[in-house]
Amino acid sequence: MIKVTDIHKTYDDGKVQVHALRGVDVEIKEGEFTAIVGPSGSGKTTLLNVIGGLDTPTQGSVSVSGIDIAKLSENELIDFRLNHIGFVFQSYNLIPVLTAKENVEFLMLLQKRDEAERNERTTKLLKAVGLEDQINKKPNEMSGGQQQRVAVARALASKPDFVLADEPTANLDSKSTANLLDIMLKLNEEENITFVFSTHDQRVIDRAKRVITVEDGKILSDVTK
Amino acid sequence: MIFKIAFKNIWRNKLRSWTVIIAIALGIFGGLAVISTATGLSDMRQRNAIKTYVSHVQIHDSNYLKYSGLKDLIASEEKVMSYIQESDQVEGVSARLRIESFIQSAGGTSGVVLNGIDPEAEKQVTNIAEMLQEGNYLADFKRKPPILISKKLSTKLNAKIKTTIQCSFTDINGQPATGVFKVVDIFTTSNSMYDEMNAFVRLEDLQSISRLYGSHEIALTLKDEELVEQYREELMAKFPGLHIASWRGIAPELGYADKMMDLVMTIFLVIIMLALAFGIVNTMLMAVLERKKELGMLISVGMNKRKVFWMIVWESIFLALIAGPLGIVTSYLAIQFFGKYGIDLSFAAAGLRSVGLESIIYPTIDSYYYIVISVLVIITAILSCIYPALKALKLNPAETLRTA
Ligand SMILES: Nc1ncnc2c1ncn2[C@@H]1O[C@H](COP(=O)(O)OP(=O)(O)O)[C@@H](O)[C@H]1O
Ligand SMILES: [Mg+2]
Repeated sequence: MIKVTDIHKTYDDGKVQVHALRGVDVEIKEGEFTAIVGPSGSGKTTLLNVIGGLDTPTQGSVSVSGIDIAKLSENELIDFRLNHIGFVFQSYNLIPVLTAKENVEFLMLLQKRDEAERNERTTKLLKAVGLEDQINKKPNEMSGGQQQRVAVARALASKPDFVLADEPTANLDSKSTANLLDIMLKLNEEENITFVFSTHDQRVIDRAKRVITVEDGKILSDVTK
Repeated sequence: MIFKIAFKNIWRNKLRSWTVIIAIALGIFGGLAVISTATGLSDMRQRNAIKTYVSHVQIHDSNYLKYSGLKDLIASEEKVMSYIQESDQVEGVSARLRIESFIQSAGGTSGVVLNGIDPEAEKQVTNIAEMLQEGNYLADFKRKPPILISKKLSTKLNAKIKTTIQCSFTDINGQPATGVFKVVDIFTTSNSMYDEMNAFVRLEDLQSISRLYGSHEIALTLKDEELVEQYREELMAKFPGLHIASWRGIAPELGYADKMMDLVMTIFLVIIMLALAFGIVNTMLMAVLERKKELGMLISVGMNKRKVFWMIVWESIFLALIAGPLGIVTSYLAIQFFGKYGIDLSFAAAGLRSVGLESIIYPTIDSYYYIVISVLVIITAILSCIYPALKALKLNPAETLRTA
């Protein structure tokens, strides 16, 4: 479970202060398929970063799977991210010199999993995202939609508790968007993978099971369908 | 996996990687070129000095060097000479009578040391015979005794071949003595300072003018240069009353010159390494800054900083490992080639001659320098990527990901 209690985040570059989050309380449970929605600048990315341990809140506490991440050192945070969170980024951010297979395998290597497990899981995940015939392609040989599917497979490879995706479909056309959502939903329903993603695309919002709307760093509404 | 990514990363920007590889290879090449040229120069200087005037071992009366008195002839010279002549280690031996004198022609005057020599014996020890304009090695003359003077002295005295010159000095009784000679040939060695101070006449002529029937100096060369110190000790044991020195003792400046070379060489190497370090820091820094977002992503998904650091260090190590052999092979080929055919520096011949050098340099090197320089260059390469690698660790993953 993710438990966010009264978090505030203020960016201070010495001249201006930006209150990106101003008192957010939210709980997200395993198995959810949750969209964080709001206009640009409303604080979606900041919220996801704080949950994922990429950023630390100025105030308030964040607990993920029982770990109070505010208390972690920088190195512990990196390990926390490796073992508990899967990330999908807006611009795919695969490792350009590695193939699809190697990109998926990468986190498992960091986790020091043995070769048999790595191979089995990589094959399974690439199949799950429908790329079993693209395993030896490099990112620049694939379309954006395919790259983002590799990114989803990579995020799942480390067996995270939660997959956080910041605007995963923002760079995709509508067909690829629909396809990616099909895959994510299927993984959610069949494998009980938890997805938390931000978006401002109505077609994506429509398919989420829970929609949390933020504005000006506060939660405006929280609707579970 | 880190190796694999690091290795693949270096081929992402081929131009940049090749620039670094070539810079490192040039660093090795430059270092080895400097060392081999310097070694070649100092070998040549040493060889020239030995061949022209120092020889391997010199023997004097113990007082001669202190007072350079005319009367300090070598005692029991014949015994010494025959002992040396019988040795099969010896290549050549020459006994000389040396008299400082005032030399004078119609055109000018100067001071000079008259070397009374047996031309045939001297030929086995020094190479003055090969440095003559016309090849008349005190052999062809008429009434007046012959003398060889250098080109330098001939200019100073305004004397040519066939010019008559007069040499005067004070004999052992304090009486003025004079000899009249005719210039029969003119020599030029590779050391203009030596040239200016020395002239050669026949031993018997100088003996009869000075009425000194002996010699001041016995110079010898050995077949094997390595045995010089050993043979010197043998002579010292045999003739304890004489002053016996090897070329190192006679011309210690040859050794100092090596030290000077060492210093110049070290400075050169430091400059090369600094240039190399600067190039690598720059390039790897660019590689890091250009990949900010990717590095940020790696840190975001859980790659720890130690691994990120080593990934960048490995990139430099790979570059150095490619560049190292390249630099060594090209240096080896170049040193072999120029070691055989020489580097022609005749455009600077005059300057080189004044310090005892010829105009063609044959670079040569101790093979262990290949290892020294390679290790030095590779260490420099690795040290210089530490700063860029640390820079990568300072990246804030959340920030780098925001910048699209
Ligand atoms: N590093 C930063 N420094 C200053 N302001 C920032 C920084 N990151 C984000 N912000 C500001 O915080 C607010 C929330 O940003 P963000 O979480 O990215 O919103 P969203 O993802 O909903 O577009 C914005 O006003 C943004 O300009
Ligand atoms: Mg955002």
